[in-house]
Amino acid sequence: MNVTVASPPVSPTFARRWHAVRPWLGTLVRLGLAAVWIVAGGAKVGDLAASGRAVNAYDVMPYDLAKAIGAALPFVELALGVLLLVGLATRLAAGVSAALLVVFIAGITQAWARGLQIDCGCFGSGGQLAAGQSPSYGPEILRDLGFLALAGFLLIWPLTRLSIDSWLEKK
Amino acid sequence: MVRDQIARERRRSRALWTSIAAVAVLVIAGLIGWGVVSSQGSGSYTAPPGAVENGTGVKVGGGPVTIDVYEDFICPACRQFEQQSGGTIDQLVSEGKVTVVYHPVAFLDRASSTDYSTRASAASGAAAEGGKFREYAKALFAQQPAEGSAGLSDDQLIQIGRSVGLGDAFAQAVRDGKYKPWTAHVTDEASGDRVNGTPTVRVGGKDVQPSSQAILAAVG
Repeated sequence: MNVTVASPPVSPTFARRWHAVRPWLGTLVRLGLAAVWIVAGGAKVGDLAASGRAVNAYDVMPYDLAKAIGAALPFVELALGVLLLVGLATRLAAGVSAALLVVFIAGITQAWARGLQIDCGCFGSGGQLAAGQSPSYGPEILRDLGFLALAGFLLIWPLTRLSIDSWLEKK
Repeated sequence: MVRDQIARERRRSRALWTSIAAVAVLVIAGLIGWGVVSSQGSGSYTAPPGAVENGTGVKVGGGPVTIDVYEDFICPACRQFEQQSGGTIDQLVSEGKVTVVYHPVAFLDRASSTDYSTRASAASGAAAEGGKFREYAKALFAQQPAEGSAGLSDDQLIQIGRSVGLGDAFAQAVRDGKYKPWTAHVTDEASGDRVNGTPTVRVGGKDVQPSSQAILAAVG
């Protein structure tokens, strides 16, 4: 049969190579995002009251709610980190990660827009900045966007090497 | 083909179960954090004599205008504030113009390896019991440990107390951590009042810059 094929967007060799590399790249992405959550959660879990104060500093909810969220957040971050580390339900973990990151970015953006002088508290600390310190909302948002890109990768391609997901898939 | 269909079915149920397991892990994790905090709860506390009625700080002076000062004993900016504006506030007190409520919050426990913020605040409560809150607070700021250090030991806190004339009852209260629950109350109430950093100064309930000029202007 004589069919004229429109030139493919990528060369077949590139596609083949991408197919081979992607699951390993995905492993790196997954472990990277896992590290982010474990470091972020680990930094906050030792002082849950301070975590609640960091949430409260965003000034978007009553203090009692901020306290509850501040207490739960470090443990949820650690749990997300562990799920990603072992590669269990990667797509779901990536989806929850993305949702959380969007909330964080929104929180930082509103603090910026309202001219609040706070530390994002992303990796511990948090709260109002001392006199003379200036907030770094831009870099904080860029950093979160980077993490969001990692989560997006795993949402699209959740099956990665060295994961429980791919082990289950083979069974 | 039937075999394909069975395989697809099995894959789908596996995906469902792993998702349920993952969601359960996340929910349980959140509940653990929530449980830890609510079990700590805001227990009962004893406010030192000289504290304001709701126990959120120690009152100094009796003038018509109220100044609220929120400080953490390990915060360098608070030490700076004390050095630059402490005298101005003392003068306003002695002129009978203001009532100052000092809130010794413990926001920065993680800035030392020994929860120095909480221990120093609780010790200041014990100093209030001995009628020397301000003297003691000034002495603590003068000997402020660096952020990231172990902070001062309880023995050093007691020693500083002796240097301003506090005795054995003070020493015992520091050793027993008698006012630690009060410190937790002060800190929690400050957060509830939207104090997010230290030093925070409020004149008549309104935030002002922590400087002598701003305070004098606001007091009028």
